[in-house]
Amino acid sequence: MATFELYRRSTIGMCLTETLDEMVSSGTLSPELAIQVLVQFDKSMTEALENQVKSKVTVKGHLHTYRFCDNVWTFILTDAQFKNEETTEQVGKVKIVACDSKLLTQ
Amino acid sequence: MASGNVSTVYISVIDDVIAKVREEFISYGVGDAVLNELQALWEMKMLQCGAISGNIDRARAPAAPGAGGGGAPGAGSTPPVHDLNVPYEATSEEYATPTADMLFPPTPLQTPIQTPLPGTEAGMYNIPTGPSDYAPSPISDMRNGMAMNGSDPKTGRPSPYMQPPSPWMNQRPLGVDVNVAYEETREDPDRAVQPPQMTKDFLMMSSGKRKRDEYPGQLPSGSFMPQQDGNSDEIVEFVVSKDNAQQVWNSIMNKQESATKASSTQETTMTQVLPQRDGIQDEYNDQFFFPGVPTEDYNTPGESSEYRTPTPAVATPKPRNDTGDDDDDEPPLNEDDDDDDELDDLEHEPDEPNTQHLVLAQFDKVTRTKNRWKCTLKDGIMHLNGRDVLFNKASGEFDF
Repeated sequence: MATFELYRRSTIGMCLTETLDEMVSSGTLSPELAIQVLVQFDKSMTEALENQVKSKVTVKGHLHTYRFCDNVWTFILTDAQFKNEETTEQVGKVKIVACDSKLLTQ
Repeated sequence: MASGNVSTVYISVIDDVIAKVREEFISYGVGDAVLNELQALWEMKMLQCGAISGNIDRARAPAAPGAGGGGAPGAGSTPPVHDLNVPYEATSEEYATPTADMLFPPTPLQTPIQTPLPGTEAGMYNIPTGPSDYAPSPISDMRNGMAMNGSDPKTGRPSPYMQPPSPWMNQRPLGVDVNVAYEETREDPDRAVQPPQMTKDFLMMSSGKRKRDEYPGQLPSGSFMPQQDGNSDEIVEFVVSKDNAQQVWNSIMNKQESATKASSTQETTMTQVLPQRDGIQDEYNDQFFFPGVPTEDYNTPGESSEYRTPTPAVATPKPRNDTGDDDDDEPPLNEDDDDDDELDDLEHEPDEPNTQHLVLAQFDKVTRTKNRWKCTLKDGIMHLNGRDVLFNKASGEFDF
């Protein structure tokens, strides 16, 4: 199963990365095994988002920058508004990084 | 709030990962103790980040043996910021995108067709496909001019992109005046750098609109001369009197003729044009030469009215044709990109988790109509205002 490393940059992914880094540095974990954990995280996170998350979000804002490189879209929005069923978040500047979903289905 | 659902999902992910790597750990000869330590550390960091709430964590925590007891829920979290930006900062983007192709297709089509007649299309073509996207018209012009010193700066521009320069020369009997001006610029390497744009754009304007209809009878055609004069101005500066000025001018014109003769095809047209120019310039001489500063005045009437205005106008329209209304913004766009990167770099330095808002997702579709962008995302993790929010689907509408 193909996976994105994209989610490693999320809060949970960064926490895992830091944890693994500490454990590898301390010698309690081998780098190979740490990589295995990260790969598993990629799969588990993707599956969890597909299967456990149902909310929908609408995003509006001023598109400050867009780029498409290596099948990754990057948008930088200013004065962006995020709405879902429960809440509305207003942020002055936000970066959206999105990989091509079709790459996972292939 | 969403945080409840988010932490539930996060904990399930942690459990899932731990469960599924257990075999790996065993096969590597690593005991459960290490695995438990991993989970405990991970969850503790999550608590400290506030990504999972202590309460929910404990509810499910039983499954997690080493769940950190007293994680400070403080907002201070690990800054995902720096890592995030690095890999995605890749600069060249637009042309690579399929959507970008959708946007730009008209350009290549127009270019081959229109280029032979007016130089404008060539210029348009240059901008999008230019060697560096970051260098809009000016730089590309500079480069072309530099590279093409041997040939007309005007033709030099398109030539790198349009491989057959000769067809240009042959096909433009009407553009004779234009060619002359450019040739003059050729001769002077120093001038070739700056004037080319002015002349090019101007020519493009003239070629596009005036060539056939207005050009022949009107004085504006004389306006071409000032450019040439600009080249010759250096010589003119020595002259004080009208007569001398005209003599100098004639000598200059002769030089031009010789230069044009080099490009044999257009000589005849050149000669025809020359007398008109002289006549026009004579008028200028009467008006401006007396004041004492022939050269400056000389150029100003032509440049101010027609040269300068057409240039920016031409420059902007080029992109317009390529991508549409947005194009006016393109040059600023690139500049903004740089600025933005700089801003990102600045933001990286201070660790301010709450100031970095990030959305990680997969895109199903990204479309653009003029400056209106629409995208559909799925399976996203958003970190907004210090909180994580997950979504299954997201639709975005952005104004660029």
